Amino acid sequence: MIPKKGMIKASDAFERIIHWWLAITCLLLIITGLGMMFHSFNFLGIPVGGLKNLKLIHNFTGILFIPALIFAILIWWKEAGIFKFPEDLEWIKCAGGYLWHVENPPETGKYNPGQKAFFLAVAGFGVLMVISGLIMWFPLSLPRALVSWMYPLHALGLLVIFPFFFIHLYLGTIGVPGSAQAIFTGYVTRSWAEKQCPKWLKEMEESGKLEVFGEEKGASH
Amino acid sequence: MSEKAKLYDATKCTGCRGCQLACKQWNQLPAKQTENRGTYQNPPDLQPNTWLLMRFQEISNGNGGVKWLFRKDACMHCTDAACVKVCPSGALHHTKYGTVALDQSKCIGCKECINACPFDVPRYDPATDKIAKCDMCFSRIDNAMDPACVKACPTGALQFGDKDEMIKLAHQRVKDLGGNAYVYGDKFVGGTHMIYVLPEKPAVYDALPENPRVPLSVIVWKDWLKPFSLLATGGVIAGAFLHYLIHGPKDTSGDKASEGGGE
Repeated sequence: MIPKKGMIKASDAFERIIHWWLAITCLLLIITGLGMMFHSFNFLGIPVGGLKNLKLIHNFTGILFIPALIFAILIWWKEAGIFKFPEDLEWIKCAGGYLWHVENPPETGKYNPGQKAFFLAVAGFGVLMVISGLIMWFPLSLPRALVSWMYPLHALGLLVIFPFFFIHLYLGTIGVPGSAQAIFTGYVTRSWAEKQCPKWLKEMEESGKLEVFGEEKGASH
Repeated sequence: MSEKAKLYDATKCTGCRGCQLACKQWNQLPAKQTENRGTYQNPPDLQPNTWLLMRFQEISNGNGGVKWLFRKDACMHCTDAACVKVCPSGALHHTKYGTVALDQSKCIGCKECINACPFDVPRYDPATDKIAKCDMCFSRIDNAMDPACVKACPTGALQFGDKDEMIKLAHQRVKDLGGNAYVYGDKFVGGTHMIYVLPEKPAVYDALPENPRVPLSVIVWKDWLKPFSLLATGGVIAGAFLHYLIHGPKDTSGDKASEGGGE
């Protein structure tokens, strides 16, 4: 997957590293957590020498998840953390054309409202997962009433994050072809950018900040 | 296999603590150095190496005198056991007798049962990173023997047998006693497998919940969120697959000829 001439830079190396750091820790947390949530998934502890080790991996992966989450929030909150009205509302009303045929779905910036909702879910519930998880790790040093509600909160976090995570996985791969390159090489095709983030593309071109593969910075068009 | 239960009749108990010692002996739980705190209740509370504790309590008898209350505190072996509900590894489990046993080799030291138990029974041992509690002497009852505490009781305050029979005995005893006498254990958490006959109402006793139940947080967590998360997981995976089949992927090729088909 080597970028071709004319492709557009959508993400820098730091963004890509944080994305993968977050993605890998998140996936590992889901798998190890699943092993403890359902007895039928207890077998996931076998390869690591038992459920106790699975718990340790889960807890320490949680520690590694914290910096990834902080960086992710710092990187993406401006572009993906704020809804803009009324254009985002228009997009939501027609589900961005993702669920039924829409002639001209409203143009979006770098991230569409669906992606913004995903970012907010991960950021908000990610923080709650970290807090509840840390309390669950050391439950005997805190009031029982507080600790007791951390378990359902942690379960609620999975319930919210997993569906978003899976839709993100689907739309980032086979659902919207050409997207995955943005997290590997950082470059997307011009037609992809025209479809997925037209407003952002225009803004970048107008401000001369657009980076095009094989061209001098800001020299395009 | 019929359900078994242990009956503790506090009105026949002399507080000799033979049961507490027998429990330690059978389960090989040597006592630690204790100190005199001015009460027979020793150690002060249940511990990782004290699964059965005789509680002693003095109350006014109403005319200037003192009444001495005993209570044998240990796992109540709930039918609807919150600890079994939350245990991630299956270490805490119901036996064929309806009692709640503990397979310590499976315990991962997560301490979730400590917060779930309405009777505050499981104790965490930092030395082993595991939970400890009474298992109704599973190794004995599974070999047709009485639990060690029952075996040791010199007054007949402790009995072990079929659950139905123990409950019947308890109610008959309370009827005979009259007054404040009370059967504790058959009315909540699906019925416990330790039944008390108490000379006083439950509210009088230290550390004895009047209306114990599985905490709401455990119900929300295990009965609502857990099945709902399965539903959501299955739904979203099936939904994505159907979306691909019915709606198809989005066309991002920029090829004018193929437009209109994708979106």
